[in-house]
Amino acid sequence: MMKPVYILSASAISPQHTFDREQFLQPVMSSDNGKLYVVEADYRQYVNPVAIRRMSKVIKMGISTAMNALQQAGISCPDAIITGTGMGSMLDMERFLKDMIELKEEALNPTYFIQSTYNSINGWIALQTKCNGYNQTFVHRGLSLELSLLDAQLFLTEAEEKQTVLAGCFDEMTEEYFFIKNKIDYWKKEIPNSLDLIRHSNTKGTIGGEGAAFFTLTNERGNAICAIKEIKTFQDAELSEVQSGIHELLQAHHLNPNDIDVLLCGMNGDCRQQAVYDMALQEVPTPTVTTFKQLTGEYATASGFAVWLASEMIRTQQVPETITYRKSNTEAIKNILILNHYITGSTSLILISQA
Amino acid sequence: MADRIVVSAIGIVSALGLGEAANLQALLDKKSGLRHPLHLQTAYAKEYLMGEVRMSNDELSSLLGLPGGDNGYTRTTLLAMLAIQQIISQVGIPFLQSEPLAFINANTVGGMCSVENMYLEFISDKTDGDFLKYIDTLDCAESTLNIAKHFKLKPMMATISTACSSSANALLLGSRMIQQGLVKRAICGGCDSLSRFTVNGFASLKNVSKTACKPFDRDRVGLNLGEGAGYLLLEKEEDAIARGADIIAIFSGYSNSNDAYHATAPSPDGSAAYRTMERALKKAKLQASDISYVNAHGTATDTNDAAESKAIQNMFGNTVPFSSTKPYTGHTLAAAGAIEAIFSIWALRNDTILPNLNFTTGMEDVSIRPATDITQHPLKHVLSNSFGFGGNNVSLVFSKA
Repeated sequence: MMKPVYILSASAISPQHTFDREQFLQPVMSSDNGKLYVVEADYRQYVNPVAIRRMSKVIKMGISTAMNALQQAGISCPDAIITGTGMGSMLDMERFLKDMIELKEEALNPTYFIQSTYNSINGWIALQTKCNGYNQTFVHRGLSLELSLLDAQLFLTEAEEKQTVLAGCFDEMTEEYFFIKNKIDYWKKEIPNSLDLIRHSNTKGTIGGEGAAFFTLTNERGNAICAIKEIKTFQDAELSEVQSGIHELLQAHHLNPNDIDVLLCGMNGDCRQQAVYDMALQEVPTPTVTTFKQLTGEYATASGFAVWLASEMIRTQQVPETITYRKSNTEAIKNILILNHYITGSTSLILISQA
Repeated sequence: MADRIVVSAIGIVSALGLGEAANLQALLDKKSGLRHPLHLQTAYAKEYLMGEVRMSNDELSSLLGLPGGDNGYTRTTLLAMLAIQQIISQVGIPFLQSEPLAFINANTVGGMCSVENMYLEFISDKTDGDFLKYIDTLDCAESTLNIAKHFKLKPMMATISTACSSSANALLLGSRMIQQGLVKRAICGGCDSLSRFTVNGFASLKNVSKTACKPFDRDRVGLNLGEGAGYLLLEKEEDAIARGADIIAIFSGYSNSNDAYHATAPSPDGSAAYRTMERALKKAKLQASDISYVNAHGTATDTNDAAESKAIQNMFGNTVPFSSTKPYTGHTLAAAGAIEAIFSIWALRNDTILPNLNFTTGMEDVSIRPATDITQHPLKHVLSNSFGFGGNNVSLVFSKA
């Protein structure tokens, strides 16, 4: 079995006040138009000042979150950089594509092309940190972040001494992406206020979102906020497969279902994707159930926000009201199970525990 | 000591043809697959030579038993499925279903080859039409998921996108997953089809050659783009032996190291390429003198070949034959790492140095020159380089079984 990886620091730019966090998820941000955009940060503190002028939002937020995570951990250069993204810099891709069509393949700006390359953020982070180490980018829809964490776990399990990995994810919701995916019923027709999303789980569709999250991970426990014990991924799985997956995961870590203090669910308000959560609520009879997509909207790497949230819950030993789905007085938050399902049929389980 | 990982089946599609025999024969005949594209609809079609796979989408679909027309499969996916089908014909689907399998795929622009022809419909008010079949095909995982579904496989899946080193990364990830017991075996590789998006991207960077590329030549003027797919089945040596498999090569080492120099250009002194090769040798527990052939990244761009040749010279001196096979296939981007791994393995198996086409004049900064003739040498270990945008450098080492 692979060893746990320890989270030394976590950083998130999201539609909530997570980056400049003075209070845990306060004040709460919401929207009424079916879209949640990130609360932007002062990217100039983190990004090369010459390059920043030409960068799209997702690149700036990706680099800033990454650099902030490293700063929090007091690390200038990690041993590896591993990221996951559903779409990379979609805006650059759209710009290059439309210019190409409109200008009939002439006089195109190479910057958009270069920045649309899925690993361009990895390259920038490596450049800014002078990191010559392992560098990897997963572009695998709703499991992109999970695969980057899993690869970090492989890397750290192989390491013979203490090593650190910067792992994270980023995705941006563009207007065109939102428009296009509306044609295949991604979004709700009758749009509730975002904070009421989960209460509208009897209709089709969700709301759109975006964000970036980065983590400094290591293979030694000292100073860690918490540990990622296991990551399991599924594609187009039957409910019974995920159900067995939950039990295998618990068994492997010598946990009973009631040892899970908080179940953190990626419910997105879409009735078509609710079944896996209903199953989990039966299987893991924890008194405290939380949800997060009413705060972030749905996007391919939303589970990165969930990992950030879990690490914050363990660090602060608090369950904020705004994420509570079902609650009782949990004595201590030791184990959090994240369950996330994405529109394109993927499901993931991530077990986060006290270090 | 870690178990040795071996290659036990391969599948390949490139401008040289479909399958092992066609590709190998073209290499041995020094026959390039570059031509003006017939299928890619681009303003550059009459201007640039490209490594286009000969078959149309309908012909590719027909070989897979799929209907023609807008069948919902992108060319990227069709190419990949034809390569994977070769692996399946060697080992069978039940074998691949029998024990935990990983499918590590790689590509650079997913189904852009289809999306670029429909994007105006995507963003129009139209809500109905064939374009809907392709509305979820822009991202890189589209091919991965469709391939698995088509062949009724339920592997653990991952899709990597690190530009031109993507499928080399897929190979090293598969090896690590097997080593750590996550899966028993892994199909690893990559696919990319030509798209106007990519052709225009490289053209806007002004590093595309109109004529056949000349890797490591003083007068090189840029790269030719290509398309294709390459996949390798990896497993532990003991497992391959136990099932009586033909072991094609030992996957003895690898390294992924970032240049951290520039978004698209390599360190001019070749130090990053050197570091990557050095780490791959260390992982393989080999010395530079153990390597008997280097399959270079050799894109024939000004910057790559200048940096890579310095690195090769610094590491191997004048003693190790090297060549770039890009003049045969064009630069197949995310497929290149896997396709060239397959070429390197053939060189190893056949004790044959693959020649570098179109070379006439040596570069001034280095004294080393690429191999230009087919020569027979006893080969023991070969090294293959793949260097990508974002400074993503990978070297792979294969050893004779």
